[in-house]
Amino acid sequence: MTTASAEKQTNSAAPQPAAVPFAPPARTTAPSKSNILLIGLDLGTNKSCVLAGPPGSTDITVSKVVPSVVGYVKDGIVDGIITGNAKILYGEDALSQMLHVELVAPLDEGIISRPEAARDFMLHIRQLADPSGRADIRAVVGVPANAGEQARENIRRSVQGIFSRILMIPEPFLAALGYRDDSRVKQSGYVDPVVNSLFIDIGGGTSDLCLVQGYFPTRDDQISIPFAGDAIDELLFDELNRTYPNNGLSRITVREIKEANSYVGPSRKPLDVKVVIGGKSRTLELGDSVGNACNTLIDKIYPALTTLIASASSDSVVTLLQNLIITGGGSQIKGIDTVLQKRLTDDGYENPKVRLAGQDFQRYVAIGALKAARAARENQWQVLLN
Amino acid sequence: MCFLRSEGLVLEAQVIEQTEFADAAAKARGACESESDADSILKALLADEEGRVADAIAFAEVLVPMLAKRLSALVPAPRVSAASVTAREKKPGHDENRGIADFIDDMLAQERTGTG
Repeated sequence: MTTASAEKQTNSAAPQPAAVPFAPPARTTAPSKSNILLIGLDLGTNKSCVLAGPPGSTDITVSKVVPSVVGYVKDGIVDGIITGNAKILYGEDALSQMLHVELVAPLDEGIISRPEAARDFMLHIRQLADPSGRADIRAVVGVPANAGEQARENIRRSVQGIFSRILMIPEPFLAALGYRDDSRVKQSGYVDPVVNSLFIDIGGGTSDLCLVQGYFPTRDDQISIPFAGDAIDELLFDELNRTYPNNGLSRITVREIKEANSYVGPSRKPLDVKVVIGGKSRTLELGDSVGNACNTLIDKIYPALTTLIASASSDSVVTLLQNLIITGGGSQIKGIDTVLQKRLTDDGYENPKVRLAGQDFQRYVAIGALKAARAARENQWQVLLN
Repeated sequence: MCFLRSEGLVLEAQVIEQTEFADAAAKARGACESESDADSILKALLADEEGRVADAIAFAEVLVPMLAKRLSALVPAPRVSAASVTAREKKPGHDENRGIADFIDDMLAQERTGTG
């Protein structure tokens, strides 16, 4: 998922949350199908996407992309400064009030690193999906490829008492499910991405690659690289400080610069970017800085890409090479499809085609997760005990 | 000659000794001032060569296993090993009737067996 925005809280002693603004009601009766709500959740390091809808339907009642950040209001803030005098803010609200809150990012490199903040964030997700607070919520949550047991346990703990049931499924596979056009699956000429494709999901914390060939991907079919949007931001931040010392640009601003100007491939110069430093407008030439930072991503992804291609059977690899799909926020880096395709071609691969997932790149994992939630059998859900 | 003898190929060594070496030795004797000088030089030469051959063989016996070990570490394991081919053959493969719930079954089975 892409980005915008949070200065990560470096103080390890996170402020304790004040009274939880929303608590799920205690269940007193067995859930009927009528009050079950399904959620598809892409829990991203920088942005999360939540889709919600009833079972047995294709309706989507909630579709939101939320910055993955919690803001704990600082002590001493005058009444009325914060809307509703709330003690905890989330997402865009937290970012817009960053001067008055301690911002905490619940995730790092795709997994929960701040459990208390993660729980508060999940409460917020629940409230977004079910403002009434009465639904019995079952959620399919995307996890990075090859996420370990501790990462999964942290997710379970963060949603205990908030969701009644959960399923955790690797994000690249969910992206393939979400990307699939179900109305065209039986059409001749339609290449079902679940049958033979390779998905490259470039988020904020991780870049996940997954071979999807008509069966659920095994561990060997998936590679997760802890280098993605955030790492590019850090490289660019360091490079700007070397090129323009004491520039005073925040990490948030650097991220915004990256998002507006990112590219891979040969140097694009001049790349003049207007910034405000110390109150004064300045124009910085950032062609090489941005290009070098982004091209590092290609160097990280390419070996993983060729590793997975090599693992495909000889019967399937030619078709596979026609279905290399980039999704996630990294799909917005200009030229990333052509650069990867050219590199494969130059290395002798047979007619590779790398394409971008398209404008819904932020939602495919959540769309796939909601599809999975709708299709899951009763005995496949993991029941969460209160 | 020295190498062949060290390998136990005595007959082959004798052939060289009686042909090429004999011709070369005759020419070398002609250049020496005396027969005894020529004999001493040839004897010393053969002793040196025997020593060099013995050292080379000992060195190779130590070096070859090390080289083999390093080379096997550098060369990646074959991507399609018999085990992986067997494993891939066991995968369900694409069945048009497989639904998302079937994929979830696969995932849960992998988690139970620790292969996912």
